[in-house]
Amino acid sequence: MIELLLIGIKVVVVTLIVFALPLPLTYIERKVAGHIQVRLGPYRVGPHGILQPFADMIKLMFKEDIVPAKADPWLFRIAPVIAMVPAFAVFATIPFGEKVTLPIVNYEVNLYISNMDTGILYVLAIAGLSVYGIILGGWASNSKYPLLGGLRSSAQMISYELALSFACIGVVMIVNSLSLLDIVRAQSGWHWNILYQPVGFVIFFIAGLAEINRIPFDLPEDEGTLGAGYHAEYSSMRFAFFMLTEYVAMVSMSILIVLLFLGGWDGPVFLPGILWFLLKVAMLIYIIIWTRFTFPRYRYDQLMSIGWKILLPLSLANILITGLIII
Amino acid sequence: MNGNHHNFDLKGLLKKVFFLDLIQGLFITFNYTFSKTVTMKYPDEETWIPYRRFRGLHTLNRNKEGKELCVGCELCQKSCPTQCITVVPMQDTTGKGIADRVAYRWEINLLRCMFCGLCEDACPTEALKLGREYELAGTSMQRQLRTKEELLTPQAIPGEFEGGVIVKARLETDETGIKIVPDMSVQKRWW
Repeated sequence: MIELLLIGIKVVVVTLIVFALPLPLTYIERKVAGHIQVRLGPYRVGPHGILQPFADMIKLMFKEDIVPAKADPWLFRIAPVIAMVPAFAVFATIPFGEKVTLPIVNYEVNLYISNMDTGILYVLAIAGLSVYGIILGGWASNSKYPLLGGLRSSAQMISYELALSFACIGVVMIVNSLSLLDIVRAQSGWHWNILYQPVGFVIFFIAGLAEINRIPFDLPEDEGTLGAGYHAEYSSMRFAFFMLTEYVAMVSMSILIVLLFLGGWDGPVFLPGILWFLLKVAMLIYIIIWTRFTFPRYRYDQLMSIGWKILLPLSLANILITGLIII
Repeated sequence: MNGNHHNFDLKGLLKKVFFLDLIQGLFITFNYTFSKTVTMKYPDEETWIPYRRFRGLHTLNRNKEGKELCVGCELCQKSCPTQCITVVPMQDTTGKGIADRVAYRWEINLLRCMFCGLCEDACPTEALKLGREYELAGTSMQRQLRTKEELLTPQAIPGEFEGGVIVKARLETDETGIKIVPDMSVQKRWW
């Protein structure tokens, strides 16, 4: 009984944290963008613009929720939710650290909601579902640019999901387990997978950027040519849901890279494991934001050729060589 | 080497494989992240002091003894292309003649003024100068009709000050309009 209650509490806590995360993330992203472009970024709402995300949130909540006259109303309304739910569901199996003992009640708590034996498969499968929301949103808008954005998203997903999964297989072969907890434990004591799988790490990072639709692979929402792409017709909270999905996906992809390649909560002992974990995730999020404001967007055909002609053969070769070395 | 297609470009390939160009680009943006920003915190904290050539709100000068330099010759009024200046010279009401002729009224309608500076050029006594105040927004049309008394009070930026710097400032708003008060003691160069 207490176990069930504990899981319920953990679900609520994780969901609330993940819901709140886009607030600081939008602020950090705009600040980093500003300073890279030698501007200040948000500055006027609160000291150093720290209250800007709350102002944005309030603004989005009070906007009119417009459904275009020729859109499919039911699909149009459900698409942001379809995109958002998988982004949150990913967190069900992500471990944040080893067991901790609560100080007062002296009760051991696992820092994960559930430890699945096939955790990594679950994460990849659920994260892939998020694309349906984008495709449906683009399709249901019944408008040219969103449709193109949605179609691009589906094509991009097909060409990158393969390389992404194959890059994981190298790690899985070394660790001999699909459970994320086992993968992290196998890396303890500086045996980080990035040292054994550098190619796999690079492939996973690039394919991950494409998976979460970040520059240089943000073709579904290409502001330059598609005018916001799949969410061009969305407004108010439905638009906010898409933005939320995007930021949560960025966080979960950073967490996944840390778990698979950067040793999870492994680090020198002077800091607790959970802090090392959060530090690594924050660093990866910063790198993702940093690349966004450094590189231009790839052209659509370039993206396809990178996916099919370089990343896929490279990831296959990586599996082959890893297998040969293990044998 | 570039023109020869048969040559195997090992250097170029290595550059591609290790993302050297991309990493170089990342370092450039990283340096800019921590460099000084060009944004001026106008109007809350900073404001720009223009150079002396700037043509802003008119100011009427006095000489060293504090006497008005304007003699009410009406040349500025005649030279004004938009007829926004009204000058009425002082009338001799005593019958004995006036030793120092000054303007009785000197008004400018800022709504029509285009700050061309012809009045400044026409002035024979260097009494009229286009100053460096440019925050003229107000809530009433009447406020844009500036009289002699207002223009005779010296502007916040002293005339001999070179300009071309950012200074600390404070924004003041009241029911008539806005005012930005510069603090000339704290100066910094732009970028």
